[in-house]
Amino acid sequence: MNWRPRRSLALLMLALGAAAAGWVRGEVYQEPDAFVAEVFGTRPEPKVLWLTKDIQAQAAAILGHPPVQLRQRYWSDAHKSVWILEEIGKEELITAGFVVAEGHIDHVRVLVYRESRGQEVRYPSFLKQFKEAKLAQGDRLDREIDGVAGATLSVGAMERMARLALFFDRMSRQ
Amino acid sequence: MKKSSLGVALAAAFAAAPAFAQATVDQKLQILQQEIDDLKAQARRSAAPAQQTSPYSLDYSSMLDRSSGLASGGTNIVGYGEVGYGKFRQSGNATADLQRFVFGFNHRFDERLTLHSEVEFEHAIVSKDDGGEAEIEQAWLNYKMSDAVNFKGGLFLIPIGILNETHEPPTYYGVMRNQVETRIIPTTWRELGAGVHGIVSEGIRYDVGITTNFDSGKLDDPTTGIRSAHQEGQLANARNLAVYGALNYRRPGLLVGGGVFTGDTGQNGASNPALQGVAARFTMWDVHAQYRIAGLDLQALYAAGTLGDADRITAATVAANLADPGVTAFAAPKSMKGAYVQAAYHVYKQGNFDVAPFVRYERIDIKQAEDPGNNLFQNPNNNERIKTLGVNFWVHPKVVVKADVERYATDKSQDRFELGLGFMF
Repeated sequence: MNWRPRRSLALLMLALGAAAAGWVRGEVYQEPDAFVAEVFGTRPEPKVLWLTKDIQAQAAAILGHPPVQLRQRYWSDAHKSVWILEEIGKEELITAGFVVAEGHIDHVRVLVYRESRGQEVRYPSFLKQFKEAKLAQGDRLDREIDGVAGATLSVGAMERMARLALFFDRMSRQ
Repeated sequence: MKKSSLGVALAAAFAAAPAFAQATVDQKLQILQQEIDDLKAQARRSAAPAQQTSPYSLDYSSMLDRSSGLASGGTNIVGYGEVGYGKFRQSGNATADLQRFVFGFNHRFDERLTLHSEVEFEHAIVSKDDGGEAEIEQAWLNYKMSDAVNFKGGLFLIPIGILNETHEPPTYYGVMRNQVETRIIPTTWRELGAGVHGIVSEGIRYDVGITTNFDSGKLDDPTTGIRSAHQEGQLANARNLAVYGALNYRRPGLLVGGGVFTGDTGQNGASNPALQGVAARFTMWDVHAQYRIAGLDLQALYAAGTLGDADRITAATVAANLADPGVTAFAAPKSMKGAYVQAAYHVYKQGNFDVAPFVRYERIDIKQAEDPGNNLFQNPNNNERIKTLGVNFWVHPKVVVKADVERYATDKSQDRFELGLGFMF
């Protein structure tokens, strides 16, 4: 194909038009505050789970690396708790909100996704797999989570965060 | 950090924690001391230019400095590598090789602009007397306007096939990459160019762009289709460019997609004067699918390509041979196609351990533009069927041990047993 400036310019204009249409969608799908407020109706006072050495060791076993936080803030009422967690997918942090009720995942939402690939993990077809999941032996989920081709590491990060949310919920209720 | 600041930090920490659960006072003091140490370390590092932090991490998780490096303004390192051992059945010869070690730097300039790169070393040693190679596999900038619209520019991978963009060893079956995505789709295939990509609705991802193209004057091995005409961003002749487009649909456990790439490759004879004015249009397309259900991994791919003016490329190799007897003349590839089907089953999964035997059947057919007058004929090995039986054993999601047996229907000298070790990080 020979270089044709007019054709390239037209393609560029087309791309910019598409870009303008998509500009407003952004990568922050929901502010964490709004997620917490949505779950409880209002935003309750946060509570803090202190990561003692024992909790840190178990969290490290779940994550495959030591947890970077020393305290984990969360929100809860008598029935459910909300955990805003962050974990690296391939290169960047994924911020996700986990609602835990009666020891199982009630629902999950990806709040912020920073990478340019792998956003498939934010869609309901992927997230619905976590519904009702609970911890089984070895702090693993009681079910297989089907991966998404090309988003293997983001899928792994979501699974680890789900396990951590369930584990933190259990620790917060002891 | 000043003492008064530490005091404020302590006070703030306690004030922000109305409900202290589980931990004893001693444990809390230990944790706070650890946090103070981390803050001190962070303060020392902040002598460097200030970096933005994730607006969520500090508030929600007390993640002291992780986000400052990754969410905004940071650089991180990724990589993968593989080691292989192969023993050939006919000759009994065997080789062991560090096939590749790849590391990449990714940098976030701001909320929207990122750099992605990979540097690859093949075969352990790169020197004048050794067969290794050092190469830049990717170096591209991405400007994310939204999930739906990303602009990219630089040296990037062409979205054709499954392996070309996702080729880390733990993500595929077999010690070696499959032959269809090696000889027909020239994985790892990258070009210099610009593109637009994104995800437009649940699971539908597009990628389109303009890039450099192959240079048919550089062809020197017709057994690998178009591969030997690649330019890989090295002083690439760019008189002729190419356009590409790809569309993929992904859901958990399912991938269906395809791509197309087309453009002239004559480059106005820049590498072989006999190709001046020859278009030599190259077009390649593929369709592929993956389906995972109940421990079963199924995968299939079909790829096909054509190279126009192949008879003139053959003639150009003859002319090059006449000018320099050190250059070998050959019948240029005029069409190439290949397909494979693969099935794997996860027979054992416990903790990080995951064992999955697999079978794969591949078919390759590369047709060449023969020149009987100059004794240039079709290579019979370009029509090949390959059966592979093997097993992947993940000892960690990012570390895999592999073994397989490959049987070739035409070129039986390639029959082999292989062992491999792969990792990514």
